[in-house]
Amino acid sequence: MNISRRTGKAAIRSPYTLILPAFALCLIFSVLPASMSIRDSFYNVDYVNEVDEFVGLANYRSIFTDDVFLKVFKNTVIFMFCTVVISVPLAMAVAMFLNKNRFIHNLTQSIIFTPHIVSFVAVATLWMFMMDPRSGVLNYILGLFGLPPLRWLMDSSTSLMSLIIVAAWKTMGFNALIVIAALQKIPAELYESARLDRSSPLGIFFNITLPMISPVFVFLVTTSVISAFSTFDLVKFMTAGGPRNSSNLMVYWIYRTGFLHFQVGKAMAGAVVLMLFLVVVSALNFMLMNKRAHYQ
Amino acid sequence: MRNRSFPSGAIRATLRAAGFAALILVFVFPLYFMASTSFKGTREVNITPPTLVPSEFHPENYAMAWNRMNFAHYLRNSLLSTFLTIAGQLLTCVPCAYAFAKKQFRFKKPLYMLLLFDLIVPAQAIFLPIYILESGFGWINTMRGLVAPFCYSAFTIFSLVQYFKTIPDEILDAARLDKCSEVRMITHIMAPMASPIIITTMIFTFVYKWNDYFWTSILTTNETARTLPLAIQNLMPVDHGAREWQIIMAGNVMALIPMLGAYILANKIIKKGFIYGSGK
Repeated sequence: MNISRRTGKAAIRSPYTLILPAFALCLIFSVLPASMSIRDSFYNVDYVNEVDEFVGLANYRSIFTDDVFLKVFKNTVIFMFCTVVISVPLAMAVAMFLNKNRFIHNLTQSIIFTPHIVSFVAVATLWMFMMDPRSGVLNYILGLFGLPPLRWLMDSSTSLMSLIIVAAWKTMGFNALIVIAALQKIPAELYESARLDRSSPLGIFFNITLPMISPVFVFLVTTSVISAFSTFDLVKFMTAGGPRNSSNLMVYWIYRTGFLHFQVGKAMAGAVVLMLFLVVVSALNFMLMNKRAHYQ
Repeated sequence: MRNRSFPSGAIRATLRAAGFAALILVFVFPLYFMASTSFKGTREVNITPPTLVPSEFHPENYAMAWNRMNFAHYLRNSLLSTFLTIAGQLLTCVPCAYAFAKKQFRFKKPLYMLLLFDLIVPAQAIFLPIYILESGFGWINTMRGLVAPFCYSAFTIFSLVQYFKTIPDEILDAARLDKCSEVRMITHIMAPMASPIIITTMIFTFVYKWNDYFWTSILTTNETARTLPLAIQNLMPVDHGAREWQIIMAGNVMALIPMLGAYILANKIIKKGFIYGSGK
């Protein structure tokens, strides 16, 4: 403390110099764009004809009466719900199964994590190939089990489901790995004392394992929600939102409305709805996490 | 007792084996199928039942993919944008995190909150304004347009601050007594001591930037600055033309090799990095 006081002015000035580059970038590429989104959502903006007029809540009114937007919102909620309800419990089951420090367990952990570092583009094209209605390997496998072939991405009743499968495949390893890390932090004495008490395996699961990994559970649910609400690559590559918007999700809708149809104000209103939703989810997550830290 | 435990043990072992088989099949098969398809001939790609091993090998698929993707150009852009982003993050985030972890200054708290704003705001909700801004700067289709917005990362700063706080002040005070400059303090004391966390966050940045399709597709309209994930697009037919899957898969394999290579070499570090990243 004494030393920094002695060095005087230079030391006082330097912290601002140190944070300046990061700060400038944050202002230009985060704070400013977010404010622009909010502002433009209340305006009728047309960059081509240089129109820029205040329209109040008209953009919001127009998206909430737009059948396509409502459908996209519903799709996104379904997508989110399925990823949370299916892949989170599945990841937990896989994690319990692989939670051992043996060669085969470690190898399998590494293998199921691989899709997470593979680009969405590679994953999308690979699954498009496997989901081909005529010669795709998935229909062949269905046939082996005596099931009728599906039209996967080409059919409005299965397109969203197909995207959910691919998204689940890509994130499963990551989710499982995080649960495994949490499982390994549970002190072994807890299990030993439970065994001395002759608790049943089910009792051990509900009384020890589940409460101990509940923070991870919260984390997985939030990340699943956030990634569902920010899915873009899969939609753009695999279905372009179709057929008939059956697999269209929020970010792709914003992209199409603002980028391809040039309805900037409307797109920004959608972006603000998305932003609000994610801010609420992140804030909830943050509060839950802090609460945990407080009790620990 | 023995009698009863024996069959249940056998059932358990079988179930366990089935579990491993199912997991490996579900996660290895698609990737294997990608590789095997990349060597198949035009006709073999579309036959049912699909062949597991190509009946004839067509390594020329790779040469074709290489040429059609203009692979060398995109690879150069991928390498350049990824490493420039990493360098940029090191240059902006390390000093910034050092200031927030080790220095006292006015408005520190609100400034930190503002920096972390980015952790909450999803990139996907602000891409239109960023596109508009970059068009204004004339940055569309340029490398700086692809790199500059990502040279700052709230996640990296936050992780570094947490770690820097654990480095004892005494070390810094001793260095100050030796008239160590601020720059040297960062490059010779803080950075080396925090190398595990720096490596972790940079692995994140590497994976994120290397695989990024979203931003690159938004911020480019032609080939000039585009990166490998966009190159695969060159292999997809426009409209509903016939897809030459063997060429597309060859392209995928080539785009994957650097990432997979890194994953195999640094398996433990990468997995640990991702687990750490979730601890936030």
